[in-house]
Amino acid sequence: MALENMNPIIEKILLNIEKVMIGKRNVAELSLIALLAEGHVLLEDVPGVGKTMMVRALAKSVNANFRRIQFTPDLLPSDVTGISIYNPKEMEFQFRPGPLMGNIILADEINRTSPKTQSALLEGMEEASVTIDGVTHRLEKPFFVMATQNPIEYEGTYPLPEAQLDRFLLKMKMGYPEVDEEIEVLNRAQKVPPIEDLHPVVDLEGLQSLQKEIKEVYVDQTIKRYIVDIVNLTRKFHSVYLGASPRGSIALMKAAQAYAFMYGRDYVIPDDIQYLAPFVLSHRIILKSEAKFEGLTAEEIVNRVIARIPVPVQRLVK
Amino acid sequence: MKRDFQSFTLYMFGFLLLWEWLRPVEQLTTTDHIEMFVIFILLSFTLAFLRMKWIWQTIIKLWFILFSVNMFHYEEGFFQFSWITFFTDDLTTNFSRIVARNWLGLTNEFRTFLLFILLWLMAYLVHYWLLNRKRIFIFFFMTLIYITVLDTFTLYSAKTAIVRTVIVGFAVLGMLTYYRILARENISGNSFTVRKWIRPLVIMITFSVIVGIISPKFAPIWPDPVPYLKAAGNKGGEDGVGKGVAKVGYGTDDSRLGGSFIGDDSVVFRAEAAEKNYWKVETKDHYTGKGWIPSESTLSRIGGEDLIPVSSIPSNVETRDENASLFMFMDYDHLIYPAGIQRVQFQRNYILEIDSIKEKVSILNGFDSAPIAPDSYSVEYKVPKYQATELRETVAADPNQIDAEFLARYTQLPDNLPDRVKELAESITEKETNWFDKAKAVERHFGGSGFTYSQSDVAVPGENDDYVDQFLFETKIGYCDNFSTSMAVLLRSIGIPTRWVKGYTGGEFLKYSEDDSKQIYEITNNNAHSWVEVYFPNQGWVPFEPTKGFTNSVSIDFTNNDGTTPAVETTAPMAPKPQESLEEDNSKTEKTEQTFSFSNFWLSIKTFFNQEWKWVFVLFVAVIGTTGLMYRLRGKWIPRIYLLQFRLRKRDENIGKAYLILLEQLERYGLKRNEDQTLRNYARYIDTFFASREMSKLTERYEQYLYHQKLPEGSWKDTQELWENLIKKTIA
Repeated sequence: MALENMNPIIEKILLNIEKVMIGKRNVAELSLIALLAEGHVLLEDVPGVGKTMMVRALAKSVNANFRRIQFTPDLLPSDVTGISIYNPKEMEFQFRPGPLMGNIILADEINRTSPKTQSALLEGMEEASVTIDGVTHRLEKPFFVMATQNPIEYEGTYPLPEAQLDRFLLKMKMGYPEVDEEIEVLNRAQKVPPIEDLHPVVDLEGLQSLQKEIKEVYVDQTIKRYIVDIVNLTRKFHSVYLGASPRGSIALMKAAQAYAFMYGRDYVIPDDIQYLAPFVLSHRIILKSEAKFEGLTAEEIVNRVIARIPVPVQRLVK
Repeated sequence: MKRDFQSFTLYMFGFLLLWEWLRPVEQLTTTDHIEMFVIFILLSFTLAFLRMKWIWQTIIKLWFILFSVNMFHYEEGFFQFSWITFFTDDLTTNFSRIVARNWLGLTNEFRTFLLFILLWLMAYLVHYWLLNRKRIFIFFFMTLIYITVLDTFTLYSAKTAIVRTVIVGFAVLGMLTYYRILARENISGNSFTVRKWIRPLVIMITFSVIVGIISPKFAPIWPDPVPYLKAAGNKGGEDGVGKGVAKVGYGTDDSRLGGSFIGDDSVVFRAEAAEKNYWKVETKDHYTGKGWIPSESTLSRIGGEDLIPVSSIPSNVETRDENASLFMFMDYDHLIYPAGIQRVQFQRNYILEIDSIKEKVSILNGFDSAPIAPDSYSVEYKVPKYQATELRETVAADPNQIDAEFLARYTQLPDNLPDRVKELAESITEKETNWFDKAKAVERHFGGSGFTYSQSDVAVPGENDDYVDQFLFETKIGYCDNFSTSMAVLLRSIGIPTRWVKGYTGGEFLKYSEDDSKQIYEITNNNAHSWVEVYFPNQGWVPFEPTKGFTNSVSIDFTNNDGTTPAVETTAPMAPKPQESLEEDNSKTEKTEQTFSFSNFWLSIKTFFNQEWKWVFVLFVAVIGTTGLMYRLRGKWIPRIYLLQFRLRKRDENIGKAYLILLEQLERYGLKRNEDQTLRNYARYIDTFFASREMSKLTERYEQYLYHQKLPEGSWKDTQELWENLIKKTIA
C-alpha cells in the first residue's frame, strides 16, 4: 500500500514487535488490530512458531502486564479467574486474583481444558468481568486475550463449540517462517533474546485513547451495506450450514475501523473489508458436512462470497 | 492407426489446397505437363506421410524432378546419361544469368526446375503448418486471394475453385482447431470426441456451401474495377488512350470517335416546348471502325414552310401534334428539330436544303442560297405513341417490307469488325425473338454494372483497334458516342437496321413561359448527345437510349401486351424537377377541392417511396451507418463533451460524476474492472498499464468523496487535472 502512511504510533509498535519476531508482519498487524478494536484473537497453530514471543513483545510495547495460562485438562475455573481464600489472620476470605486479571493474556492450548474452564475464560472475555462467590470483579482495561489452539492433537481435547468461537474477533494462522527468516531466527537464538531490551512505545492510557479514536473512524453507509451484503451471503451460501451472525457484522466493522486507523485513514474503504473478512468471518461459519468432505474450507467460502459481492463504487441513491 | 488417419486427411487437404494454386497456371500460362507437377506435390505429401527418412525423400524427389525435366525437354531417354551434361551446363549458365539478373534469358529447362523446387518448398511449408504449427489460416486465406484475384483479372473462372477451396479450407481449419484444443487441454482424443467435433463441422460446411450455392447472387454493386485499372495503367501509354481527339459541343466530323469530351456550358439555344424532348440535327449510316461517316449525300431543296420530308412517322402510329419555339444563341445554319418534325416557321422567307440520308436540314437565304443562321424559329412536330405489340411484330427482315439496299445500308459493318462483337450481340439477345426486345436487351446491357459513364479518360482506338470492340471488351468507360455507336453496331451485327443520331438532349429546365402553357429549356454545348434509332418496317425509326444515366422520353404503350406490364412506360425525363413542380401545382389546386383521405395519403407515400426508394435507402443506410459509427466511436467524442462541461462547472463534487465517467471510459478502452475489484486495486492496475500514478491519486480522492463523504475544499482543481490526463490517455 504505497500510498498509505501508517499511523506513527502503531508503526512503532509493529517495529518493536519485529525486533523479536522475524517476518509474520501480518500476524502482528492482525493481533494489534484485535487489541485496538477491543477484541480477542484465536491463533490456530502448532507450538513453537513464536506465538508467545509475539504476545510478550506486544504487551511490552504497550507497557501492559502480560499473563500466560497454560491450559491443561485438570485446570479449574478458579485457577483462571482467581479464588477467595480464607485468611486466618484477617479472619475473612480474601480474593486472590487469577491470571485472568492482567491486560494481555496468552491462553495457551485452550482446547485442552474442560469446557467448564473454557467458559470461565470466555465469559471473562465477553463481559470484561468475572463473578466469584457472588462478587463481580471488573477485569483490567485494556483486556486482550490471545488464545491458541493446537490443531494437531485431537486426543484429549475439547474443541471449542462454534457458538463460543464467535467471541473471538479474529481467527488466524501463524504458519512456519520462510527459509531465510528461519535462518535469521537461528542467528538470533545464539544471542541474548532481545525481548528484554524492548521499550514501551505507549502506556496503557495511550493505548486506551487510541482505542477511543478508532471508534471515531468513519464508516459510510455504502460500506455498512457492503459488510451486511457479505455477511448476509454467508448465510445464504450453499454448502454453508450456519452463516455469520450480526455479531460477525459488528466484528467486521470494528476490525475494519482499526485497520483503517492503522493505515492512517479516518474512514473505511472496501479494501479493508476484503482484507479482513476471511479472518473475521471464517470461524463464524459452519460448513455442511458435504462441503467439508469436498475439502472446502471456511476461508474459501468467504473468499467466494467476496468475489460475488460487487464493490460499492458510487453513492447510494437516497 | 488413428493418428495415421488424422495425418492422412491433413495431408490430403494440404495437397488439395496446393493443387488449387496449380490449376490456373495450366490455363493462364503456356506451361505444359501440369500433371507432372501435381504428381510431384502428391509425391511430396505421400513421402512426408510415410515418414520416410529425409535423405530418401530427397533422393526420390530429385530423381522425379530430373526425370520430368528429361521428359519435357530432352529427346534422349532418361538412362542415356548424355543429357545430364547438357542439363548441368544449362544450370550453370542459368545461375550466372540469375546473378546478372537476366530474367528473360532463363531457359525453359531451368524454369521447370525452379518450379519444381518452389513446389518442393511449398509442400514442405504446408506440411510444417499442418503438422507442426497446426495452423493453416494464412495459407488458406492466401489461396482464396490468389483465386479471386485471378478470377477478377484473368480469364480464369474460379466458380468451382472457390467452392472447393472453401470446403477444403474450412474442413482443415476445423480439424486443426480440434487437434489444437486437444493438445492444449491435454485430452487424449478418442473416437467419441472426434465424432462430437466432426459431425457439426461437416454439417456446418455442407450447410454453408449449399446456402452459398443456391442463394441468389446479386450482380456486383461496384463497377468492374479492371477497366479502371487498365485505363489508369495505360494513361499516357502506348494504346493512344486519352491522347488527342477531344470534343467540345457539337461537331460535324465523326469519322474518328474517341478521346475525352470537354464540358462547355455555353448556351446553344433555348426551347419553349410543351415537354422535354431530344433535339435532332443529323443521322449517320456508315460505320468505319473508327467512327461514322455519311455514305452518300442527296440534296434537295424545299420552300421554307413546306412539309419537311424527314423522320416521317408511318400513318399507323398514333401521334399528337405539338409545337415548339427555338431561340438560337449560336449561329448554326442547320435546323435543330425534334423527332417527328413537320414544318418550320421562320420570321423571314428562307429555303431549306435537305440531305435525305443524313436527315440534315440546312437553312439557306431565299435570294442567293447562301447558308444563314436564323435567330429563332418555331417547329411543328408529331409526337408518336408506339404500341409495344406492334413494335414486337418484327421478328426478321422481310424483303417485302424492307428494301434490300436500305437494309444493306443500315446493317453495314466494317469487314475487320472482331467476331466477338457479334458473339456478344447474340448472347445478349439469345432469349429474345423480335427486334424490339432485342434492341431493348442491348439497351439494357449498357445499363449494367460493367459500364461506366465518363467524359474524361476515354480511349482513342489505336491503329488496329475497333472503336466499338475496344469499348465493349476493354475499356468499358465512355460517353454517349461510345454507348450509341456500340448499340448501333451490336444491333447491326445481328441484322437489325440502325442508324446513329446526333443532336442535343432536352437541356435544363429554366422557367415556365409567360402564359404557363409551355416550359422553357436551355440547351448548352454540354447537352450535345448521340443516340440510336432502330428501324421497324411497320413503325419507322424508333429512338433508343443506350447511354448510361440518360433517358429519352419516348412513350411506348405496353398495355395490349397480354396484361403483363399494364402501364404506359413513359420513361422519366432526365431532370424531373419541372414536371414535379408542375404536378405539385396541380395537386395544390386539387387539394383545395378534395377532402383529405387517408388512402390518398398512403398512396402518395407509396409513390414517393417507389420513386425515391434509392434515396430513402441511401439516407436510411447513411443514418444507420452514422449512428453505428457514432456509437462505435463514442469513446472518442463523449469524453470530450464532459471535458468541456467540467471545465465550465468547477465544483468539488464533480468528482462523483467524473470518476464514474472515467470508469466507463476505461472499460470501453478495454481495461475492465471486475465487480469485486476494489477501486484502489483497479487503480493500481490502471497505473501499471499507463505507467503513471494518476489513477491512484484520483482514486484516493474519490474514496474520500465516496466512503467519507468529505472532500478537501477546492480540491477540484487537482482532481480535474488528474482526471483530464487520464481521460486524454483513453482518447488518444
